[in-house]
Amino acid sequence: MYLDAGREITETAVEHVTISAAPKEVFEQWKEWRPAQISHHGRICCEYVREWVGNTDFSALNGGKLEAGPRWIRQRFEWGPGKYPIYWCEILKRSKLDCGVHATLAHEAFTRRGIKAFRTQLVQEFSPCATAQWRSGCDKNDTAPTWIGDDVIYHEGCSVVGSGGRLKLWDSSAGWWIDPNTVTGYGSLRAVRIVATHAETFQWGNHLLQTNEWTSL
Amino acid sequence: MKKNLTIYISGLYSGTNPQPGVGIARSLRQGFPDAELVGVEYSNRCSGIHWQDFDDIWLQRPWNELDLDLHAREIRSRLDHGAFWISSIDLEIMWLAEIFPDGHPNLLTPNKRALAAVAKPAIPAHTGLPVSIPEFVTTNVSDWDLHAFCRKYDWKVWLKGPYYEAIRTPNWSDLCRWRSVLSSAWATETLSLQAHVTGYEESFMLCAYRGELLDCVHMKKRDLTELGKTWAGDALPVEPSILNSLRKTIRKLKWTGGAEFEMVRDAEDELWLLEVNPRFPAWVHGSTITGRNLPAILVEEATGHSALHLPAESGQFTRVVLEVPVREEFPLSPLAEPYGGGIGHSMKHPSGLIEFAQKLHDRNTPNSESNGHRIPMPEISDDIPDSYLDDLQNIDLRNVQTPASLFFPNTARKMFANAALIGQVETEDLKITHAYSIKTNPDERLLRLALESGFLAEAISPLEARKATECGFDAGRIVLNGPAKWWRRDELPTGEFHAIFCDSVEELGDVAAQLDSGELRAQTIGIRVRTPNIVSRFGIPIDSPELFETLINSIRKLPRSIPFGIHFHMASSNIGVRQWRHLFKSMLRWCGSIEAFSGRVVETLDIGGGWDPEDIRRDNGSEYADLLKLIPQSLSGVTEVIAEPGKAIAQPTMALAMSVLEIRKYLGGSCEAVMDGSIAELPMHFFHPHRIVAKNEVSKEWRELKRGNSTLLGRLCMEHDIVARDVELPEDVKAGDVFVFCDAGAYDRSMSYVFGCG
Repeated sequence: MYLDAGREITETAVEHVTISAAPKEVFEQWKEWRPAQISHHGRICCEYVREWVGNTDFSALNGGKLEAGPRWIRQRFEWGPGKYPIYWCEILKRSKLDCGVHATLAHEAFTRRGIKAFRTQLVQEFSPCATAQWRSGCDKNDTAPTWIGDDVIYHEGCSVVGSGGRLKLWDSSAGWWIDPNTVTGYGSLRAVRIVATHAETFQWGNHLLQTNEWTSL
Repeated sequence: MKKNLTIYISGLYSGTNPQPGVGIARSLRQGFPDAELVGVEYSNRCSGIHWQDFDDIWLQRPWNELDLDLHAREIRSRLDHGAFWISSIDLEIMWLAEIFPDGHPNLLTPNKRALAAVAKPAIPAHTGLPVSIPEFVTTNVSDWDLHAFCRKYDWKVWLKGPYYEAIRTPNWSDLCRWRSVLSSAWATETLSLQAHVTGYEESFMLCAYRGELLDCVHMKKRDLTELGKTWAGDALPVEPSILNSLRKTIRKLKWTGGAEFEMVRDAEDELWLLEVNPRFPAWVHGSTITGRNLPAILVEEATGHSALHLPAESGQFTRVVLEVPVREEFPLSPLAEPYGGGIGHSMKHPSGLIEFAQKLHDRNTPNSESNGHRIPMPEISDDIPDSYLDDLQNIDLRNVQTPASLFFPNTARKMFANAALIGQVETEDLKITHAYSIKTNPDERLLRLALESGFLAEAISPLEARKATECGFDAGRIVLNGPAKWWRRDELPTGEFHAIFCDSVEELGDVAAQLDSGELRAQTIGIRVRTPNIVSRFGIPIDSPELFETLINSIRKLPRSIPFGIHFHMASSNIGVRQWRHLFKSMLRWCGSIEAFSGRVVETLDIGGGWDPEDIRRDNGSEYADLLKLIPQSLSGVTEVIAEPGKAIAQPTMALAMSVLEIRKYLGGSCEAVMDGSIAELPMHFFHPHRIVAKNEVSKEWRELKRGNSTLLGRLCMEHDIVARDVELPEDVKAGDVFVFCDAGAYDRSMSYVFGCG
């Protein structure tokens, strides 16, 4: 859930928002963030891992359907706050990977399968108790807690366009499809932005989502 | 009001797989606070009888003791006097439909015709609904066909009882065991075997009165018990298009009462209908919490009494475990004594439902041609292949000392000829070569047939390679494979081998050095890749990027003067046909990556399948050929495909003859026959069925033993030495008769061992 801290633009945006007393929207403090990226050394060290991820994903389908969520990623790579930049060749050396890396891997898996997929930014509601725990974890791991708000957090997932143009939202750190009806309460999704190269509108449950626009749910 | 409205609710079991009676009572109490609710149960062990919403409990003796005629009269009397009855017990509902074939205005359960239309697994009423039925067969089909069905669906199948129970049977041994258990419990040979569908579980719950759909709710499971039962869920409105279809279906069936359509939604959003329960589900009160009190709506419609409708408390529901006080009039019974030396208090179903099922079964003589619901089932396969019978006619069993392995020469020739036709996708650039896996059966007759048929010989040891050369293969037609191919190296023939596939990077390094030095010669040097995501001990693992990189670095060191190849092997008979197909496609991707990273073109691809002969025979290998056609798309440099059909060739070519030593007859018609053969001669008995034939002394014809209630015991003093269960012995069977176990030409032969012979 921590991402892009190594990038100047993100740090600036976060600092700006931290001094804001009352954000207008639940996504306000992360609205300038871009989805996390796994960097590439431009050498074979990274390409090995990238290729391995794609092939492993296909093998893990096990004869199941292409639109099935790549749950193996979360099973293989435990969640935990991380640091950026992170390179492909490093992902197996980290004991834990954050949601940005999980989502990047899921996106890689879906697109290699030939499924239309988008990186997707999320804001989830939890509780002050939960966010205090995560903040403490960041302190111990020397990672920036910029993804953590008072009772909401920044999160990343992956949107896929399934059969019949139906949009589904995969939480790669949880290993489940996010429910479009759960928009309040602990663990609910409060805001979403689908990141795409061009403008498109999707129906997700009862919500109309415009790509590259934050939508409060 | 209390005096004016009495509702009987049956099915109060409230264990981990609960009946809905308590939930119905809670919902009705909410809708009709003053109604008299009478709980009906058939065991005082069902904890639901203590639930506070019941004004009274009408406790019956268990079903196995019950005088059904008397019980029917008492129910009729209560209905005639104005009481209503909501049953939560499938078997009771079926029984009531027989007692009241035309229904009763106060009986809020479906009629007999409607029940027939929702009988599983076919569920004829699904037509018109946007759902599919997972493929199924009944266990009336032959073992041969059941095994084929399991392979087709990757052994992801459920064995289902006629009314309740579904058990995963991931292998042949489990399937046989559970078939026997369920058949005995439900007193029927007619169970069903249904393909598993992977996905999320959902349900439609509805209530209807005389064919009019009153309300419906769509529930998506959010949490499940270990048994897969609902623990928490979302209660949602049903999509209008589905609602319309349901309305039409319910009208057509003239449905009365509750119902639940249990479904799975797969990854592509397709709905698969597993069952229609002719009653409310156990989570019925979860829906009431979300503002849809279906039991109250049903009673409102049937009685004309207005129900109290409370607003939704939430859109979701979950369960908790509650302790409730025990009613004074029904003190708890003692626990049964554990069996001598036993663990736990093993008890039968407290209400005797299984015995009730048997009673119902006795009342309705089943049609052996149906699936238990009078729906004829299609036959899948042929009988014993003609070539088996031809071969048997040429064997004089009087001169055979049993147990004896019988060679079927006609069948063997046919198998090799057919195999040569498989995968006819050769082009100028791609040659398909078949290899005979010596380990499947090293019989010289088969090896010579392989040689004559243009096969290569695949050896896993120098001893096997030597056997191949003794049968006429030169080194150039031998493929070396396996983890111990250098064991007893001094036996290895000299010459240039067709191919060597290394099982580890360590071996790859050694072999590369020997090829460099000229100590070893091969037309192709390659690797065996360990199957990703499918457990295997063979080949070089690639399940981490580091291992993958290590493999690539090792391949780079191979002498470039020798063509490079890749081998993979996994028995499709074990993992299933569909999964093997996916593995093949997956391996093509991995091979492409290996090629790209190592800079070595894959020129030879060696594919081991471990296929069942039937899977190759059924479609003349066309599916296999279609897969081979994919190779050039992924690996343009492949010029040779080595196909190893493995046991698909050897299995049909031999049989095992056993003689009956003794017949033991028991009351009830079951028999045991002690045979002079054993699992020592038939070690694959636990893994696949063998078709058993016996010669009719009058007609002189060979006939297959059908399913029955007899057991063939092996001669060994080993508890598990049972060579066949559930077979029907010929009427005139006697000691000395010979039974021939077909399909015993592969590992049954090569892995047989001498035991109990002094």
